[in-house]
Amino acid sequence: MLTRSSRWMIAMSMLGLLFVTGCTPKDEESSGTGSGGAASKSDGGTAAVESRGTIGFSALTLKNPFFKIIADSMTEAGKTNGFEVLVNDAERDVNEQSKHIDNYIAQGVAAIVLNPADRIAIGPAIRKANEAGIPVFTCDLQCAAEDAKVDGHIGTDNYQGGRLAGDAMIEALGDAGGEVLVLHFKQANSCVLRVQGFTEVLAEHNKDRESGNITIVSELEGGGLTDEGFKSTSDALQAHQNLRGIFAINDPSALGAWTALKQAKKTDQVTIIGFDGQLDGKRAILEGKIYADPIQFPKQMGVVSVQNIVKYLDGEDYEKVELIPTAIYKKADAEKDPDLQKTPTPAPAPGEVSLIQTFKSPG
Amino acid sequence: MKRFIADNGSIIVLLALCAYYSVVTLGEQHPNTPAAGQEVAAAILKDSSEQVTVVVITRDTVQDRAYSEAVRAAIETGGGTVLAVVNGAPTDARLALEQVGGAFSRVDAIATNHSASGWGPLKPQKLKTTADKFPGISGIKVFKPQSYTWPSFLTRENLVNVINQNAVIAIIAIGMTLVIITAGIDLSVGSLLALCGVTTAVAIQQMAGGADAGTIGLLGACLIGTGVCTLCGIFNGVMVTWFRVPAFVVTLAMMMVARGLALIVAVQYQSALLGGGTEGTPEAVRIEAAAFGWLGNGATFGIPNPILLMLALYVLAHITMTKTSVGRYIYAVGGNPEAARLSGVPVFGVLILVYAICGAMAGLAGIVDASRFEGGRPNAGEMYELQVIAAVVVGGTSLAGGEGRIFGTLVGAMIIAVIQNGLNMAGVASYEQKCVFGGLILAAVLLDRFKRK
Amino acid sequence: MRGVDKSFPGVHALKNVDLDVEAGDVLALLGENGAGKSTLIKVLGGAHRPDSGVIEIDGRPMEIITPQDSQRAGIGIIYQEFNLIPAMTVRENIFLGQEPGRVSIVPAGKERRRARELFDRIGVALDPDALVRDLTVAQQQIVEIAKALSLDSRIIVMDEPSAALSPREVEGLFRIVDELKSQGIGIVYVSHRLDEIFAICDHVTVLRDGTYVDSKPIGELTRDTLIELMVGRKLADEFPNRAVAKPVATDDNEVRSGLTVSNLVGGPKVRDISFNVRRGEIVALTGLVGAGRTEAARLIFGADKREAGTITLDGKELSIKSPRDAIASGICMLTEDRKGQGLILNRSVLENFGLPNLSRFTVRGLIQQKRERDAFQAYVEQLQIKVSGPKQRAGNLSGGNQQKVVLAKWLERDAEVIIFDEPTRGIDVGAKFEIYLLMRHLVEQGKAILMISSELPEVLGMADRIIVLHEGRVTGEIEDVKLATQESIMDLAVK
Repeated sequence: MLTRSSRWMIAMSMLGLLFVTGCTPKDEESSGTGSGGAASKSDGGTAAVESRGTIGFSALTLKNPFFKIIADSMTEAGKTNGFEVLVNDAERDVNEQSKHIDNYIAQGVAAIVLNPADRIAIGPAIRKANEAGIPVFTCDLQCAAEDAKVDGHIGTDNYQGGRLAGDAMIEALGDAGGEVLVLHFKQANSCVLRVQGFTEVLAEHNKDRESGNITIVSELEGGGLTDEGFKSTSDALQAHQNLRGIFAINDPSALGAWTALKQAKKTDQVTIIGFDGQLDGKRAILEGKIYADPIQFPKQMGVVSVQNIVKYLDGEDYEKVELIPTAIYKKADAEKDPDLQKTPTPAPAPGEVSLIQTFKSPG
Repeated sequence: MKRFIADNGSIIVLLALCAYYSVVTLGEQHPNTPAAGQEVAAAILKDSSEQVTVVVITRDTVQDRAYSEAVRAAIETGGGTVLAVVNGAPTDARLALEQVGGAFSRVDAIATNHSASGWGPLKPQKLKTTADKFPGISGIKVFKPQSYTWPSFLTRENLVNVINQNAVIAIIAIGMTLVIITAGIDLSVGSLLALCGVTTAVAIQQMAGGADAGTIGLLGACLIGTGVCTLCGIFNGVMVTWFRVPAFVVTLAMMMVARGLALIVAVQYQSALLGGGTEGTPEAVRIEAAAFGWLGNGATFGIPNPILLMLALYVLAHITMTKTSVGRYIYAVGGNPEAARLSGVPVFGVLILVYAICGAMAGLAGIVDASRFEGGRPNAGEMYELQVIAAVVVGGTSLAGGEGRIFGTLVGAMIIAVIQNGLNMAGVASYEQKCVFGGLILAAVLLDRFKRK
Repeated sequence: MRGVDKSFPGVHALKNVDLDVEAGDVLALLGENGAGKSTLIKVLGGAHRPDSGVIEIDGRPMEIITPQDSQRAGIGIIYQEFNLIPAMTVRENIFLGQEPGRVSIVPAGKERRRARELFDRIGVALDPDALVRDLTVAQQQIVEIAKALSLDSRIIVMDEPSAALSPREVEGLFRIVDELKSQGIGIVYVSHRLDEIFAICDHVTVLRDGTYVDSKPIGELTRDTLIELMVGRKLADEFPNRAVAKPVATDDNEVRSGLTVSNLVGGPKVRDISFNVRRGEIVALTGLVGAGRTEAARLIFGADKREAGTITLDGKELSIKSPRDAIASGICMLTEDRKGQGLILNRSVLENFGLPNLSRFTVRGLIQQKRERDAFQAYVEQLQIKVSGPKQRAGNLSGGNQQKVVLAKWLERDAEVIIFDEPTRGIDVGAKFEIYLLMRHLVEQGKAILMISSELPEVLGMADRIIVLHEGRVTGEIEDVKLATQESIMDLAVK
């Protein structure tokens, strides 16, 4: 029989176990962090991949696969170049991100990469890294704070992507034109640029047109999330019965929009254009749920970030601001995409396929 | 013994955590002080018999400059020649090496520190290829300070970081502790933090004169910001007392309303900046007054100001709770409101005061946040309420009310901070961190139960 | 029970205690507060685990570790605080935990029938479908008894069953106890009221300071010898002598006229109450439960909202809107429910003591803790409060010591009018006398005391004057207590 206190001890030690299993494997990694040169002289021989220290990467949010891909590709590229990449999740909180940067400085990392959670408020944290002499690189999202020195940026040309999305919308709606909804995420400057590009293309299209205008009737907050995209679209469908197109600033909110259309039985009336080209989004394009995506190249972002760090540390020149143009991705691309071949997808329902056909050949 | 463990459980846990992280973060440390510079200089002088020629290469930081200056001085007093001192980026190092390699026939040594020794141009292979073109550096050797083994967790910089990063949470936790001691809860603190930040930012930009704002103007703006939050707290208190709405519900409502207000103010402000034509985006309201950053990013006697503010508030709160009538009343109201009322305690007044203090603390935290990020962020403080409640609970305050210690909360906040810091340093993904924190909170409550048995 | 031992941190609560109950026998378990009665009951009920000792039922040793074990062993415990769920019906409460299966439908009809049978067994009529929260305390007690019977209990332990009952309800309780006895159920009856012990008990077991003192058939004992067993010494008298000097104040002396209440109205229970309490006298406010005694006192103290009426102290009208106002005007109240209203149980005795007196110990906003502790220490000695130190939690004290802490808190406040609501409820005989003595002492100092009590011997023994209430109105006043009898008071109380 157990005494009362021994029962408590068991409960506590079980919790302790939970705690330990939560962090043990990574701790082993961390004890290897203090890598680097030997004693006073380091002019000795060279190893195959010489360890060059740590790169700290503070990701915007690892809940979005896009940033997870950046993190993974960066870790991979880091390894081949002799870096250990320390990935932290800021969960969209710039305060959290500042903590990460403070930690990186205290740890004395070789370089810092981040997706700024707030393009202005991240300034003071970057300045601290500047003062500590640690190079800072941004990725995907840019920093707009004054007097914060960023040593390099790699991102998507969001404006160009927005224009491609606009073109795709024009192609899909054809001469008939119609009403269009935008699912926005205003907090992110990248999304503001996407919508700007999109809007401008539509404005040019409408310019000398008597009929068949494509008009943006509503710009709603989609939060970049499936559930919010779903809610906003449902509401918009109530308000605008004749909606013909939706531009969602990323794939999750585009998928939310599709669910709303399906509930309202309007999948054949409304065309969705997404953004990103994540696996889910690509699959949806293959299934005909989304008409087209301007796709980004997160893998490339991670790789180029590491390459830029190597060049910086080697004292070589590199592109300080590099914007990767997006490419439009449609069903035809999806059918050839090796990424989608690997995972079997259910055959699209016949109705859904035919509706895409009707859109492609409008009157 | 048992009693001692039960009473000081959280402190023991904190110390144990620190010890644990000290062991797992044990690793090489690389000194970068002027003293280390002198040692390196001595090593260089000892290594070469003739008059030695040296290039000093470090990064461009205050510390590195002091280090390279020490090296230079020591080499020169030792009879050597310093050909160049480079304080800059890897590119500067490369250019400097090419330059000395071309200009001088013999360069003996590079004196550098750990950070710069990792740069490409200083790598043996790279040096060899450079030497092919610039033969002056063909015999060059790289010297850097001797490293030593020490836990990277246990450095002054890291410990100061841990506290500084969590000062905001710890400040809000003061107010939350009081509320929880009265058996209440305040979910609105995170939103109030944002509301205060935004309000203060707008007040500085619009009323205090923006970039030209003086000290009085800044203080006035802070007062407006905290005042708004205090009023929100009073509202919470009035609802809880006079209208008998459960605190959970009132503050949940306030959490949403305050967040909404913060976003509205920020968006309106951005829109006004753009001329009012288009709708603004919910970005931070930028504070241009440079002096405002003092609170969040400055330091006094080498200690960051948020830490000093936090400590001052904790001492004040501790005195209030243990040495004044108000403190006794708060405990009494939490322990048994009816008995307190029948003993002449103004229960409603005490409750309203407690919620007002909680609002004011969230406001102060909002000012620290705004100062730290040089702008009022409408999205600041999301989910802080839960972090703060966790800190209070881990610190040993009972959610049933009537019990709890102010410094217990500080220890609780630090336990969470240390765990998070350690996990971040070890690169544990946020997914696992969440599990650890959940377990931690459960463990804290179990400890509390254990104590009561 | 044989040789039961139980220790708590710092306290050896039970030392080698024996207890014997026979079928169809009513055993009185007696002892002062802190003697270990409650602990013993909790051991029987499976709430505490004994450190050593055995419990035998019908000669078979039983292992009782959880409340479930206790139930299975046929022990039913009726605690002072009932374990009933107010929002559920009588029937549901009785059969809670006895539902046939986890998901099967509760056979309401069958349960209702069984409930009626149980009530028949103890000779009462109660609607099985009434909500427990609508019942009186006495009825709730019946539900508890029925619940114990439904579990086939062979032994029923009643902890202070009469404490919250009116005299008439106590009679009903006695009938039930007799009924159970005749059905062969053994009963352990815990009470401080010696009259009741003599009325219904067959045997008496006395505990003192956690040790077993003696067990005797009731016939061999007298009131005095019983008290002697309990307190371990002879008690001269149950009540202290009245002051030799007559009350210092008279009606024509306005300034010393004490508390006057006129036409007090408030809440559903107080219709129109007027009386006065002169300095130097104890006035008892009595009547049946529900007559509005406590309610009237709460109105005077500002604890509830007064709808009409004036309160004057020494001829000066007081504006009392809250207890805070009353305390500031010199009125204080020792509530009947010490745990719920008198003390903050999870705070220290010192903090409880200081609560209304902090302004006395505060210098420039800071409490001078030494001064506060010294003041408290003086009362600890004066009132002989048994505490381990000023930091001891109020909740860990026995009833008598809790009452003394509450008293100390108000004495330090130096109130002019002190309202005692059931001053000795749940307090053992020895401590009772000390409290009576103190009340006497206070009136000798010129304080005015208003005492509320349901125990008529206490009223007759202590009061200088008696006010009887019935349904929120004053139905009589007895000026000369020597002429009063329990019958004459009851006569006024039911009018």
